[in-house]
Formats: sequence, structure tokens, C-alpha cells
Amino acid sequence: MAWRNIWRNPTRSLVVIAAIAIGIWAAIFMSGFATGMSKSYVNNAIANIVSHIQAHHPKWEENYEVKYDIPNAAIVLDTLRNDARVQSVSARTLVTGMISSPQGARGIQAKGVVPEDEADVSQLRKNIVEGEYLSGERRNELLVGEELAQTLDLELKNKVVLTFQDLEGEITAGAFRIVGFFETGNDGFDEGHVFAIRGDLNRLLGAAPEGEEESKRLSGRVDGAVIHEIAVMLQDREQSAAYNAELAEEFPGLKVQTYREVSPDLDLYESQIESISLIYLIVIMLALIFGIINTMLMAVLERVRELGMLMAIGMNRVKVFFMIVLETIALALVGGPAGLLIGYVTILYFGNNGIDLSAFSDTLQMYGLSEVIYLQLEPVVYWQVPISVAITAILASIYPAYKAIHLRPVEAMRTIG
Amino acid sequence: MKVIITRGIEKVYNPEKVPVHALNGVDLEIQEGEFTAIVGPSGSGKTTLLNIIGGLDRPTEGYVEVGGQDISKLSDNELIDFRKNHIGFVFQAYNLIPVLTARENVEFVMLLQNRSREERQQRVLELLRAVGLEDKIDKRPSELSGGQQQRVAVARALAPKPAFILADEPTASLDSTSTANLLDLMAELNRRENVTFIFSTHDQRVIDRARRVVTLVDGAVDSDEQRSPEEIKTGEAKE
Repeated sequence: MAWRNIWRNPTRSLVVIAAIAIGIWAAIFMSGFATGMSKSYVNNAIANIVSHIQAHHPKWEENYEVKYDIPNAAIVLDTLRNDARVQSVSARTLVTGMISSPQGARGIQAKGVVPEDEADVSQLRKNIVEGEYLSGERRNELLVGEELAQTLDLELKNKVVLTFQDLEGEITAGAFRIVGFFETGNDGFDEGHVFAIRGDLNRLLGAAPEGEEESKRLSGRVDGAVIHEIAVMLQDREQSAAYNAELAEEFPGLKVQTYREVSPDLDLYESQIESISLIYLIVIMLALIFGIINTMLMAVLERVRELGMLMAIGMNRVKVFFMIVLETIALALVGGPAGLLIGYVTILYFGNNGIDLSAFSDTLQMYGLSEVIYLQLEPVVYWQVPISVAITAILASIYPAYKAIHLRPVEAMRTIG
Repeated sequence: MKVIITRGIEKVYNPEKVPVHALNGVDLEIQEGEFTAIVGPSGSGKTTLLNIIGGLDRPTEGYVEVGGQDISKLSDNELIDFRKNHIGFVFQAYNLIPVLTARENVEFVMLLQNRSREERQQRVLELLRAVGLEDKIDKRPSELSGGQQQRVAVARALAPKPAFILADEPTASLDSTSTANLLDLMAELNRRENVTFIFSTHDQRVIDRARRVVTLVDGAVDSDEQRSPEEIKTGEAKE
């Protein structure tokens, strides 16, 4: 009877069913969009900045002093390169200092890399927007972030001076020629980092020239270079935590961290996105509650006389209550699957094709986000949303059902209706 | 055998603000199998008395015994069960559940009584045949005429095998032919199944067919007339 009751006024019922379907679709879309943004941010950060795992000297993060290089870096690299779970490794020399041009100076961190290794670990080669990638054919090549180039008004082939402390604690400087500009999509990173050939930085640091006997004597150096950071990309990102724990156990003298530990903002961002999704869901459900209450209240009020008759002939209050609740659930049972289906198709389509937000690229880059957001949804959401709607429908039906069972048959049947 | 006894029934609506005395000490006894019309002008208290006898309303003062039970002491839920199992109602209009067919409307109260499927189906067919609607069994109320709807309502009222049928202005919205047919039907069921029928009405066509006519004026019994079979008029029309 509840099922038939909802079709007494098809237009009104269809409006509520549509509201439920749109509510579920909106919840799924918002959740998919938020998850897509979150994944985009995390993926960008991993691909351009933090990789899956990073290894440093335990004291490196205190002051970023060059003396805190990774002990036994060569052995660590050998271990990593011989593990099938590892996709690629980049051993970097890092210095913190100043970049100066005739137009000004900025504090930066310079990363000394082996170009081919770095291209395997990060998107640096793909991120070159002008000029070319590091070749190693000429001395002191430098890649500068697009954002920094604009700040310092730099052009390709310009010379800049990098100034930093060497291994002895003395100030050292070298002139570098800009061979390319890169853009990672994260303005903050692009403004504060430059990339150079690892050997060039090590020469300025005062490390033993590559290939010399001295370098062999200094255990841990790689081709004579001091290594401050080993960035690791795994075959499977999900293995980051487990593999990180293995490395930490195997090399207790190292500080190895997953991307979440290196960049806690990723965790914060993800949890914020989850919270925002939850708030959206609650707002949508609240709107739905009032829509359903309104409809069911109308359905009850226009049937006051009939409800009075039902109670007069022996339908008890519990049955009347559940009839109204069932009518509401029946509406949700029609609207729910429709919303889920539309939501699923939307996620499928925009998950493959993405939503182009290039019109807002400046803002998106400021926050390290891609211009194209690919919708993604955790499978559990397909359960969470309908359960939320079912709870919403039940909650929304309580007041109209309460009104119905508090009708007095003799008064209800006197109502003109 | 007395199946309904009322003693000094009073009903006052809105007692604290503007009291309206609907009943002023009604004493009434109804025997099993009677075919009684409660008549009187509008506002005389007919419907109020019927509601109180049917357990739909409570008296302000007085005693009501129906089928040997003092129903004024029953809780609301006990009253619902009492009505479900002992009383059949036929109302003036809005009598049937619009989303159910004639069969389902008649079956509805038996479902509430948890009767077996087999018993329900048998009783539904028997009753719809008795009211001459076996060919309309799967029609919804909107597909039936006013007279046919009231006949389904009578079948539904009889479905739980009640001791009494209370009918509040059952012919108010019917034409002469439908009224005559309905009265024939109820008189036949009264005779055949010995069900006690009590009507509230001011329809002369109903009053003419009643074996007892209780007249209310200003909430009190003004006259109580028993009729011999010779005094009762028979139906004149067939649909």
C-alpha cells in the first residue's frame, strides 16, 4: 500500500525522487571532484617534488648543512637499484644558498642531480617549458623555475651566481648559465629551487673530483660526490610505507621517510578535502531532509480523513507510522539507484576525460594542482552515500509519521478533504 | 439480548472555553440483530452518539457497554483493537482506500486481523458476491459508482465478522436507486447474518426501512419507536 500511495500524486513523488537522485549525484560528484583534486595534488607533489621515499642524514633537516651527507650512500644506492620493487633512484647533492642576477637575488635550494637519473624519478625533463634539459656537455648548466625567472627577470643563457657554504664551511660561489626554465605547477617550489649537474655543485663544495682515489677512500660518496638526498620511486605507491620500514631497519643510520612524512601537508590536504566532502554531504542531506519532510507532510495532510478512516477501522498507530516511513523509504529506493547510476556514469566519464579547469590555471598552479582534474571516487563512497540517504529518508519521515499517528480518527474524518 | 447499553451519556465539546453540549444524558439499549435508525435534525447528536458507541470518541460522562464490555475504560490502542474485531463501519464518503482494489479494500481489515490468506480470499469472494460486485473485484474505487463504492464499504464492514455495523449517513451521497439497493442489501445481511445495524441518518428513505427509530433532539432521546414488519416499507428500485 505504501508503494501505491507514493504514486497518488506522481508529479510530487517524481519531484522528490528527482531531488533524491540529484542529491546523491551531487554528493558523488563533489566527493569525486574533491578526491580527484586531492589525488592530483598528491600525484603532482610525488612526481615533481617528494617522490615515494626520501633518504637523508638524520640531522639534515635541522639546518640543511652540507656536512650532513648520507653515510654509505653508494651501498644504499646499490641496495635500492637491486630491488625489483624500486623503479628509479636519484642521488642528489643539495645546497642552500643564494641565486644572484643583475636584477636581484633570492634564497634558493640548488639540487645537484645526474640528469638521466633525475628524469627517471621526477618530471623535471617533461616540465621544461623553455630551453632544454641538463645535458652535462657544458660546465655549470642550470635549470631555473619559471616563477623565479620572472621574479629575477632572467632569460635563457643568462649567467647567474650561486653562493653557498662549502664542505669546509667557507662561502663559495660559482657562475652558472641558464639552459632552461621549468614549471612544475607548484609556484612555491618553482620559485625556491634550481637544478644543476651534481658534479658541478660538488666541485664548488670542495668534494673530491670524481674518479680520484680520494673519493674511493671516502666511503659513502658516489663518484666523489656528497649525497644529501636519495629520492626513490617505487613500482607501486601503496608499498611506500612497508618498503620505507624495511629500509629504516636495514639502514638505521639514515632517516628514510615516505612522501607523507616528507611532506605532511599532503596528509593535511587529504584530510581537509575529506572534511570538506563530508560537509558538502551533510549540507546536501540537510536540504534533502527538508524536501522530503515537506513532501511527506503534504502527503499526510491531504490524507487526514483517509488516515482517520484507517485508524477507525482498526489500523493501529504502529502500522500507520510504518506505512508513512515505508512510503518515504520507497521514494528513496527509486531515487537512490537513479542517483547512484548517474553519479557512477559521471565519475566514469570525467575519470577518463577529466574536467578542464585551464581557465583557472594561475590559481590552480598556486596551490600545486593540475589544470585537468580527473574525478576519482573511493568505492566505499558508493555505499556511504546511499546509506546516508536511507538514514536521511528515515529521519525525514519521522515528523510526518508522528503527525499521522497523533490524528484522532473522529476529528480526522470530520476534516474536509 | 442487549448488545449495546448506554447510561447517562453526556458529551461536551470544548468544555473549558465555549462548552457545546452534544449529548445530554442519553440512555439507550439495543438488542442483538436490530436494524435501528438514529434520526434527528442536524446538531442533534446522532453522529456523536454513533462515534461513542463505536469507540471512536469518548463520553464526557456516562457508561457505554458494547458486547458486554465497558469500552469507556479501554485505552486508545485497546479501542483500535476493539473496533477492528467487533465493529464494522460504513461512513458517508471517503469510505474506501483509493489505491486499493475492491478485493483489497475488503481484505484489508482481515489482513490487520492476521487472518490466513485462504480465509481472506474465500471471505472476500463471498462478500463481494453477496453485495453483487463479483465482476468489479479488481476495480479501484475511482472506477466504481457511488452506490458500488458503498456496497464495497458494506462488504468491508462485514469482512471481520463484526457483531455490529455502524453506518453514519451511508446514503447521503447516493441517488434513489443506489440508496434502495444499498438498503435492500443491508436488510438482507441483517436478516441472514443477524448482524446488528445502527444508522445515523436524516434520510427518510432509510428511516422508512428501519425496524426501530430513535429520535434525538438537542442531544437527548426524544422518542423511541419500534415498528412491526407491516410498517416497514420495502425497496422500490433495482440497479
